[in-house]
Amino acid sequence: MIENFLAGTATLFGDPFTIGIFVFGVLGGMLFGAIPGVSMLTLAAILLPFTADLSPAQGVMLFAVIYCTGTYGGAITAILFNIPGAPENAPTAFDGYPMTQKGMAGKAVGAAVLCSAIGGVASALVMMSATEPLAQWAIMNIGPPEIFALVFFGLAVASSVGGRTIWKGWLSVLLGLLIATIGQDPVGGINRFNFGYSDLAAGIAFVPAILGFFAVSEIFIQAEKNVSGKYSAPKFNVDFPSFLELWAHKIAVVRSIFVGFFCGILPGIGATLAAFMGYGEAVRWSKNKSEFGTGKLEGVISSETANNAATGAAMIPLLALGLPGGALTAMMVAVFQMHDLEPGPLVFYNSPELIWIVFAAMFYANLSILFVGLIETKTILYLLKIPFQFLAPMILMLASIGAYISRGLVLDVIVMFIAGIIGFLLRRSGYSIPGIVLGLILGKIGEQNFAQGMQMVHYDLGTYFSRPICTILIVAGVLTLLKSLHSAFFQKSKVT
Amino acid sequence: MGKLSRSDILEAFFWLLIAVIFFAVSFSFNQPIEIYKFGATGWPRVILFLMALVALGNFYHAYSKGSKAQEGRVGAKENDEPIEYTSTGQYFKTGMVLILPLLYALSLKPVGFYSGTPIFIALIMIAWGERRVRFILTNTILIYAILIGLFMLVLNAPLPQGNMSPFYDISAFMLKTKTQLDQMF
Repeated sequence: MIENFLAGTATLFGDPFTIGIFVFGVLGGMLFGAIPGVSMLTLAAILLPFTADLSPAQGVMLFAVIYCTGTYGGAITAILFNIPGAPENAPTAFDGYPMTQKGMAGKAVGAAVLCSAIGGVASALVMMSATEPLAQWAIMNIGPPEIFALVFFGLAVASSVGGRTIWKGWLSVLLGLLIATIGQDPVGGINRFNFGYSDLAAGIAFVPAILGFFAVSEIFIQAEKNVSGKYSAPKFNVDFPSFLELWAHKIAVVRSIFVGFFCGILPGIGATLAAFMGYGEAVRWSKNKSEFGTGKLEGVISSETANNAATGAAMIPLLALGLPGGALTAMMVAVFQMHDLEPGPLVFYNSPELIWIVFAAMFYANLSILFVGLIETKTILYLLKIPFQFLAPMILMLASIGAYISRGLVLDVIVMFIAGIIGFLLRRSGYSIPGIVLGLILGKIGEQNFAQGMQMVHYDLGTYFSRPICTILIVAGVLTLLKSLHSAFFQKSKVT
Repeated sequence: MGKLSRSDILEAFFWLLIAVIFFAVSFSFNQPIEIYKFGATGWPRVILFLMALVALGNFYHAYSKGSKAQEGRVGAKENDEPIEYTSTGQYFKTGMVLILPLLYALSLKPVGFYSGTPIFIALIMIAWGERRVRFILTNTILIYAILIGLFMLVLNAPLPQGNMSPFYDISAFMLKTKTQLDQMF
């Protein structure tokens, strides 16, 4: 392994052009992740056609680097403006934004930098040492029933941590699941809920919906505060967390690495569920559960460690099985196909140099988060000083471009603003936007795997419970739902 | 009426209406799939049934306990005290902020990005309550220049050009100038 890693490092840093691509990926991912309104997906969508001119290794490496640094970059906007750069940063905003409001933005961003780097490096190391055996294990033990069970557990966790009441948390997730059914059904390809619009046959695209629910609705919320004279600018602060503050959360870091890696390794699940589960587990194991959501450092640490720990793991199903774990890894498949390659087990034998350049690049990209991220953070915190009258149109325009570029459809921009208005109204009423987005992302995966699983077990639900991983996840999901149901009926409201 | 407010009743009505409408529409694609027993409607109908059930639970919760946040809910704090409107002017201003972006999106196809964007940027600043003409002009030009510089010149991103004269001609002029710049450097 070490020899291969060194060989990958030598290839990566032996060619000035490849170094240039690596540096561009690191800075581009961080920058696009950290600009409210656009994300790493916007950059990736723009760059995709240009990768045809690169070698396969350079193309895949560029996307892998953007994936690592962009996942971290999205935390910045989540913390500073309550606008997650990507769905995987949504739980970071739960505590990150309240920290900004309290004048602790520096601490939250500093923790995000460090924990993203730790999660990413740990994940990269495991990925390098165990991709092949882990892929074998996943082939043997993970099938559609397990993936469906994990989706069910993830949605149960998400519904129990967002929204003003448990009922609103569930309604949010169900709305996301309903939106995900728009378009063709995953088994028979029958058009559902397209209301006569042929453009809706492909369903509601993730990028515009996510931008609308997160970025546009936040702008509307701030606009409403501005209109009623209740807007107050976030407090500026560049104090980073001390070593002791971070050391106190070492268990949360280790737990989130495991959670993130487990979620990342499963095809189709990716970093978003990892972040929600990492956050949910932090709440579950905490002695001070009520402090979460009010600006607790552990919330930021758990979410950011988990989502970056999933980035390395997500490469395992992609490279070993050819199954992408999210939108960006799906674009990597397109890069492979542009060069007449197919990701899968044969890549390890036919193109080992490609694999090890990608592995080495991801390792160094995660290290870069620590060093470049700390420098970038000091600068990016000054975004808080820009008047919101300037930032608001800028964010709306960037979001419009981001929504349009992914498919080249004006419909996506319209969908984004409609999602923004719906998101604004639902947030005013105490519904959970991250819950809607997670339902939207996992809905199709859940339905597809449920259908495949049902066909596999000949519609016998009992067979589901003969599979240990599936049983554990379903039981954990049911317990989570029962616990929140108990609290819904027997817990007092804050003020009645 | 217990502790119900008007918004609680509206919310329950909204969710049940969605469930009923989508359930009715689901009959339009209720075709059997040979290899899948539950067909195309099975999954969405389960979601709709759960949605109706949870909406009733939400209604009962509001009836018995009011609509304030439950203890221990994460992320609920920011919305605990929704903003109360005291004048119709405030409704109008918020309505403008909500509607303007949608109008911009609807105008993208005929007007295009290059012509519509500066007008929209200026209008959104006005809707935000900004009245200093100099601030609006300077920042509109600055934001427009940043967007054109980054997405048109550096990243070469394809943006909507519009299909109506004279907007289409303006877009064509911008793209022609960009090509000439590319050739120069």
